[in-house]
Amino acid sequence: MRDDVRLRLRSRSPVEGLERRRLGPLEVFAQSVSGAAPSAAMAATPAIVAVSAGHGTVWSFVIATVLALLVAGCIARFTRRMAASGGLYSLTAKGLTPAGAYASALASLLGYGLLAAGALVGATLYLQALFDDLWAAGGGRVGAAVVMAVIGLGTGVLVLRGARLSARVVLLAESISITLMLIVFSLLLAGGPAADAAPTEATAMPSPGIGGIVAGVLPALAAFIGFEIATSLGTEVRRPFRSVPRAVGLTAALAGVLYVFAAQVQVFGFSATPGGLAGQAEPVVALAAVKGWGWLPVLLDLGLVMSFVACGLATATALARVLFSLSRDGVAPRAFGRTHRRFRTPHLAVLASVPVTTGVPVVLLAVGVPLPAVLVTVLTLAACGFLLAYLLVCAAAPVFLHRIGELTWPAVAVSAVIVPILLVVLVAFVVTRPLSGALLGGLAVLGAAGYLMLRRRRPEALAGIGVYDETTTADVLFPHRGAA
Amino acid sequence: MTAPIPLSGRQPKAVRSALHVLEEIVSAGPGVTAKEISESLAMPQATTYRILNLLVAEEYLVRLPDLSGFALGRRAARLALPAATTLTTAARAVVDHMRGQTRWGVHVASYAAEQISLVDPDPDHPAPDAGALARFPYAFALGRLLLAEQADWRALVRDVRPFTARTVTSEPELDRTLKAVARDGLARQCGEFREDRGCIAVPIRGPRDGRLVAGIALAGPTARIAEPNEEIIAVLRDHAARLAPLLA
Repeated sequence: MRDDVRLRLRSRSPVEGLERRRLGPLEVFAQSVSGAAPSAAMAATPAIVAVSAGHGTVWSFVIATVLALLVAGCIARFTRRMAASGGLYSLTAKGLTPAGAYASALASLLGYGLLAAGALVGATLYLQALFDDLWAAGGGRVGAAVVMAVIGLGTGVLVLRGARLSARVVLLAESISITLMLIVFSLLLAGGPAADAAPTEATAMPSPGIGGIVAGVLPALAAFIGFEIATSLGTEVRRPFRSVPRAVGLTAALAGVLYVFAAQVQVFGFSATPGGLAGQAEPVVALAAVKGWGWLPVLLDLGLVMSFVACGLATATALARVLFSLSRDGVAPRAFGRTHRRFRTPHLAVLASVPVTTGVPVVLLAVGVPLPAVLVTVLTLAACGFLLAYLLVCAAAPVFLHRIGELTWPAVAVSAVIVPILLVVLVAFVVTRPLSGALLGGLAVLGAAGYLMLRRRRPEALAGIGVYDETTTADVLFPHRGAA
Repeated sequence: MTAPIPLSGRQPKAVRSALHVLEEIVSAGPGVTAKEISESLAMPQATTYRILNLLVAEEYLVRLPDLSGFALGRRAARLALPAATTLTTAARAVVDHMRGQTRWGVHVASYAAEQISLVDPDPDHPAPDAGALARFPYAFALGRLLLAEQADWRALVRDVRPFTARTVTSEPELDRTLKAVARDGLARQCGEFREDRGCIAVPIRGPRDGRLVAGIALAGPTARIAEPNEEIIAVLRDHAARLAPLLA
């Protein structure tokens, strides 16, 4: 039976065409960190969490970090064993039915697409704020739309030119961003609590209570979305089985530490203020204003712009790879599976996706929809997509291990804990945001229709969903090879 | 290049287990599963899985497309010493003929198991330092032929250091150099290992599959090697083509 191993091997990888085994560990790590975009969440999320968790805000973040690490653990069960380009759906396909993988693919497309658009909106928003801080001139709507289109164009060009180039830009931008955030928050911590910050409408910080802390986990967990982006670069990483699981795990840990730190600084900063952190619209700016540090928001805005630009690059890279992989599966149009001969990137998938993720926000901006509202809606919907994809991959992990005969009890235990929690989080997320829930419901119906159509028209493509970078004949050492 | 992993040397059991696992895969043949390995070695399952994943991460092992079967990866070839090959009489005659055509040294290296070994160094000329050739292949024409053949040359290069002022050590420049080697089927280095010596090498490929099996090199004074040398390169290529069926 074992003699025909060679017959079972393909001579070419199904994801051939991408630049195989080129990215270094640091470059993949940077992509994942940028996907999570911790800078933006450090500034904005603690105040949102504080609305329900109050003084327990930090604990909500600690719990969310533990959950993110558990998800990272489930993802690592796959990424230590296979290298894929389609991200979570390619992994899910190895454990769940094609329907599960298809749902994961749609959830990932939704998540990455919206996150890419959201990052663009964020970058424009804070660039506007930066100009406002510096020259008191935010520029008009048209100016902002032009800026946004230029950033989108730049993102497209970089992603098209190759994973390596954009990974380096991402690494640089994200390093600057996190450094700036650490400077900002360290200064605030050193400055002590603000005695006379503007009190919010709430008369007192809500008493934490277990319920409050648990409710706070919801937005806190949403701050981690995008941390799994390294999984879509499996094919292109030098030592994928080591670098990808590490990148995802370390990103969860790093983001967790940054969030806990940021939450602690802000809770402490507003500890002397009636109403506390809860309900502060721009807590960092408010704290800086009390201290008379008018220049601090400039650093903050610069860090946020960098972070959003990096996030846009990382998500656009991942989005194109999901489309590419789906095309190689036979599920998405065949053209998306083509790769550029010189740049070794899925150029048609990039050309199909980036104009959409750029064009939609530009049009929304041009017709006068307020950007902050767009950002919140887009990020909420994206979070739902990601949570669904995490839920599916965590459920798939033990099934996958069982299938290949490597199941251990910790794998079962972790999934048994994390899957119900993610399910509750997802349901709570949808229920508490009726608008997003309705939109998601519509998308789910469309997705189901697509699935049924696919099952009728291309059942074999659907059955084989989830291509990955298989071992090929060239990778295996056969007896005759050594004796040349 | 991979950063060396700090090993405290305090896990003798883990090292021993890893070697046992490797040995078991060799004897069971490609396709053996984790469960089978754990049973035949009487090793706890979790330990076996961890060791297997580690060896896969390091690319000594690969998972077969069903993801449950294992086989040796290409990197494992580097654990074995290349079989000491000597040239057949027929091949030696071709090499000697080449030596008759030039005043420079003519050396032949084999690339069996992705390791460079000099199988026929020129007895009348100083041979390249075999140890250095194996460790710093990027500074030698014979080494560059092998590196240019790899998907990622970094896998075969541990550390890059300059030997002379001319040694190419920057990654992008080596990238370009090796791309040119792959394109032209010709490697050249002028004074990159020793100031006064240089060499030109051409690949010897299996006639059936085109696989790189060996290389033949001319070694001479740096200034002369740097010249175009079109005629002698043509002669060298001709001899490489004649050696191909005798070596593959």
